[in-house]
Amino acid sequence: MAAPFTRVYRPFWRIITTTTSNRGVRNVSYTSQQWSSQNVKTASAASPWALHGAVCVQRLPVVSQDRSPIEEEFMELMHTMEFERSLLADHELKLLDDAARMSRKQEEDYDSDEEEDYKDKEIVTAQDLEDIWEQKLKEFQPALRSQGNDQKDVSSSERCLADSLILLVKKDVGSQKLWLLPQIQWQMGETLRQTAERALASLPGADLKASFLGNAPCGFYKYKYPKDIQKEGSVGAKVFFFKAVLSSHKHFPLEKNSFAWVKKDELQDFLKPEYLKQVRRFIMAL
Amino acid sequence: MAGIVCRTASRIISNQASCSSVVAVRHSHWFTSMLSLKTSVPLRAEPKKKKKVDPRREIMMKERLKKKLKKLEKVPPELIPIEDFITSAKSFDETRIREAPELCFEESERRALLLKEWSRYKRSQHQTEMHEIQEALEAQRQALEELKLESEELYKAAVSPDTDIFPFQHDGPCYTPPVTNYEAPEGKYNDITRVYTQ
Repeated sequence: MAAPFTRVYRPFWRIITTTTSNRGVRNVSYTSQQWSSQNVKTASAASPWALHGAVCVQRLPVVSQDRSPIEEEFMELMHTMEFERSLLADHELKLLDDAARMSRKQEEDYDSDEEEDYKDKEIVTAQDLEDIWEQKLKEFQPALRSQGNDQKDVSSSERCLADSLILLVKKDVGSQKLWLLPQIQWQMGETLRQTAERALASLPGADLKASFLGNAPCGFYKYKYPKDIQKEGSVGAKVFFFKAVLSSHKHFPLEKNSFAWVKKDELQDFLKPEYLKQVRRFIMAL
Repeated sequence: MAGIVCRTASRIISNQASCSSVVAVRHSHWFTSMLSLKTSVPLRAEPKKKKKVDPRREIMMKERLKKKLKKLEKVPPELIPIEDFITSAKSFDETRIREAPELCFEESERRALLLKEWSRYKRSQHQTEMHEIQEALEAQRQALEELKLESEELYKAAVSPDTDIFPFQHDGPCYTPPVTNYEAPEGKYNDITRVYTQ
């Protein structure tokens, strides 16, 4: 039993944890919808992995994306084809009538009594109406699509309005300072989603309000502690990511060195390769 | 009662002695000829119908009316017209036909090739989208598997449905970002949508 014992060790360990947790759970009632602290008593009492909850906060695009060349060409083609197949509108008929009346006026044998429906059309022609509308449009100044500070200020959430941005935080992990998605250790008596919400709330200096999309995690990342830190019963940590959508758009200036709003393609400049590989799977930059 | 009426009638007649012929011309039904028997209107009235037949007849009348009403109501109500499906008469107006320009060969070729290019572009876009979605779903499935290995309760909490998420609301992207502190101009509008009732 000695040689195969080590190989069977871990799953055997896991069987023990699941059975103990089942036994602990059977005594507690499941009537309340709210997750009370009693139910999570014996959870992962003997698991070697420390649990962390992390949040992937996305600021969704505010402005539509620019068209690629083929999209531009196709848009033009569609406009011309629709125009060719259309019928004349009321406004265009008026324009034609006005033009015809003007040409008739220029002739020498012009008799104004021959005109029908004369009354108001002399005063405001359709062309004048068009000019009035153009003037009104010019009076309105829309905001600029791109603020111009796209590449530089990574800590502003106003950059790259056409893409969805993700929040990264610089954190001390062991001896190094790493860029991570905001995460915090799981405590007894709360669900992982509550851990993620706590992680978002505990960010220093940032008052971000986000709506979480569901109770289930969207991804996970597990890593082992370096050998000197590994004690009995803690092999490494498992981080479970939860997706959230930024709801309030208050522009708090965040500290430059500890916060970053990045697009999906810029993630590789910030995150470690293994971590990046797991995180990229659930972030969709469509 | 009848006698009193007769006496008053005769008194009135005797007072009006000027009128000559009392017998031949009947001016009103209240005063019949003096030569006939003294009768009054209540005496000459049609005999009252028997009570048994009346309620039955009334009930029959009511039932007939109800049946007629039901027949009228059975007609299906007029359908509300869907305004989008009715082509307006303006579309059939011949004065509105636009002259279609004749396309040269190169132009029609360019259009055909562009359409094919577009279909290829859209297909590749769709494939990348589907692939990304599959990746995300796979990542979530694996995360839930790992969570199950960790602890049953957390797994059950994760898998339980979230009631607060719906109704979910988010303003989608516009062409230009919203102007800060914008005051929209005030105006009135007349709503001329047609409302149909059945």
